[in-house]
Amino acid sequence: MIASIFIAKLRKYQNGFALLSLLFLSAGLYTGLVVSPPDYYQGEVVRIMYIHVPFAEAAMAAYTVLFAGSLWYLWKREPVIDNMCHAAAGIGILFTSVALITGSIWAKPTWNTWWTWDPRLVSFAILLLILIGYLMLRSFLDDPEKEARYSAVLVIIGFVDLPIVHFSVEWWRTLHQPLSISTRGVSIASSMLYPLSFMSIGLYLLLAYLIMVRTQMLYLEHLLEAKQGRLLSEVHSS
Amino acid sequence: MSIKAAGITKSFHHFQVLKNVSLEIKEGACYALFGPNGAGKTTFLRILATLTRPSAGAFEISGHDGIREKMRVRENLFLISHGSYLYDDLTVIENIRFGIEIRGRNLSDSEIKSALDRVEIGAFGRLKARFLSAGMKKRLAIAKAILIRPKVLLLDEGYSSLDERGIAILNHCIREFNNEGTTVFMTTHDRARTAEVAHHAGVLTGGTLKEISVRDLSGSHELF
Amino acid sequence: MNFFKVIRWMVWKDLVSEIRNRENISSMFFFAFAVILIFSFSFSMDARSSRELMPGIIWVAFGFTGIIGLGKSFLPEVQNDCMEYLQMAPVSKGAIYLGKFAGNVLFLLAVEIILFPLFILFFNLDVLDKLPMVLLIFLLATIGLSALGTLFSALTVQIRAREVMFPILLLPLAVPVFIGAVESTRGALNGDPLALYGHWLELLAIFDMIFMIVAFWLFEFILDE
Repeated sequence: MIASIFIAKLRKYQNGFALLSLLFLSAGLYTGLVVSPPDYYQGEVVRIMYIHVPFAEAAMAAYTVLFAGSLWYLWKREPVIDNMCHAAAGIGILFTSVALITGSIWAKPTWNTWWTWDPRLVSFAILLLILIGYLMLRSFLDDPEKEARYSAVLVIIGFVDLPIVHFSVEWWRTLHQPLSISTRGVSIASSMLYPLSFMSIGLYLLLAYLIMVRTQMLYLEHLLEAKQGRLLSEVHSS
Repeated sequence: MSIKAAGITKSFHHFQVLKNVSLEIKEGACYALFGPNGAGKTTFLRILATLTRPSAGAFEISGHDGIREKMRVRENLFLISHGSYLYDDLTVIENIRFGIEIRGRNLSDSEIKSALDRVEIGAFGRLKARFLSAGMKKRLAIAKAILIRPKVLLLDEGYSSLDERGIAILNHCIREFNNEGTTVFMTTHDRARTAEVAHHAGVLTGGTLKEISVRDLSGSHELF
Repeated sequence: MNFFKVIRWMVWKDLVSEIRNRENISSMFFFAFAVILIFSFSFSMDARSSRELMPGIIWVAFGFTGIIGLGKSFLPEVQNDCMEYLQMAPVSKGAIYLGKFAGNVLFLLAVEIILFPLFILFFNLDVLDKLPMVLLIFLLATIGLSALGTLFSALTVQIRAREVMFPILLLPLAVPVFIGAVESTRGALNGDPLALYGHWLELLAIFDMIFMIVAFWLFEFILDE
């Protein structure tokens, strides 16, 4: 069974991921909150960047995993891959929400607004909606194979759509909000680069760890359901 | 072999519904599959009809692989199922035209007429499908099978909702199909009527298949 | 070729059914009529603010109307398990998608063309010379909306909460269509030179192309096993 080998691999490596992630995240938090200097323009507020940017990156990574997994599932039809997609979507919602909320908190002192029609912000909001729609769609479908196929289709459509959303909002913004505030990236000093990369690596590892754990949970849940079904059918036929 | 299944296994999220089902049916034979409710009869039929993929195993329909050559299999296959496959707002004739011409065959009016007469619903050709009774819908499906002349005909509880006359017509058609080389595979619960046409029979219990003798069908002891 | 024959038969089937029961077009039309009526009461507009708000109002009305119509487009296919029949038919599933899609574009466009005079009536628009451009925008945006909508309609038609799930999936992904449609409609109604809003038409056209192709390919995974 491919599934049980895959699950065994996850079990074997997950703790390594957890440990490394812990290491990088604590290094990142220490250098980010204690060692690195406050920003010239933004002051201490800039430190939220060390949370916000890595979370946003990890959220995109989660969606990439989801997309790759969906293609893989449509190709090979291996249920455990579908479990992995399911897991990645749930954790993707968590990471996307953190990215959106921290972004909003960061925007208030720097741009003096909680929300602006920035292409990246809108894309992330749409991403969140797609992921929520994904989980809702899954919960409404009864046939496990249909659930897996249909949700994979949704992920692929969303993956193609997100860049177009980004572009269209960018065009729309240049039309309606003349550049009063720049939301372009700022050049980053090297003292900020270390904590940022530590946090990024740490969160990628955390994402991987969470997906691994959640995949196993979903796999076991399905196994349990199957066992229950078998027991019921044995009782029924005896 | 017209239908050949080898080691068909089907699990829904790790729950096995079918366990290693193998089966071979010769061209022009009629095979009847019995079994208790929930034994996996319909699942097996749906796999042969290319509606669901098997989790493991392979099958062939008139020499074409059921997974890799799905299109070829579908050209040779017709399923009569619980769903009537009709559009409520189209008439009987329009439904037949739609259903068969999208498969790439052209039909003349007289062909349709004679098929409808054959199943004795010729008078209802211009009636909208929404006004048909379940038995008439079943007869209409048989008429479609007559027009398509598939190499393999699958029937999911073929006798259900048909009246005495309808069952007689269906059995007559099955014999005729068999004589022309069409293989018939059906799931059923009606032993007496099945015994009139079946050449082979099997019982599916708990996901495993056991072949039985056709003579057992006319007996009165329990099959499963 | 059988591919085009399948498309033709699908469109024919949907048109004949629609002419006989008029369920889809009439429900879309009266819903949109109610929306326009509410809008005309909600905004008491002078000429300037009318120009400002009109494109948005038009596309909110058309968008909701599309949701009503597109969301139901696969209902006749599941009523008697016809989806299974189409799955088992030895035909390209993409052709079936294109047939459904073409039917949806026709229905939606028909409703939009019937409704547009009502906008002119209620909101005192002066559009006669801009009509060809407006129709082109309607066509492009309707294609984009239907390309996604047909796919999602098939995706949601068999689930319990169909009426809720369909807009939840469709609306976020259709954001580019709405932005493109509103901005180009604004340009056209203002009588701007094409160079000022032409890129929105391009956006719509690109969106249409991409999603027709992607949905054409993905539809097989919805209809087939």
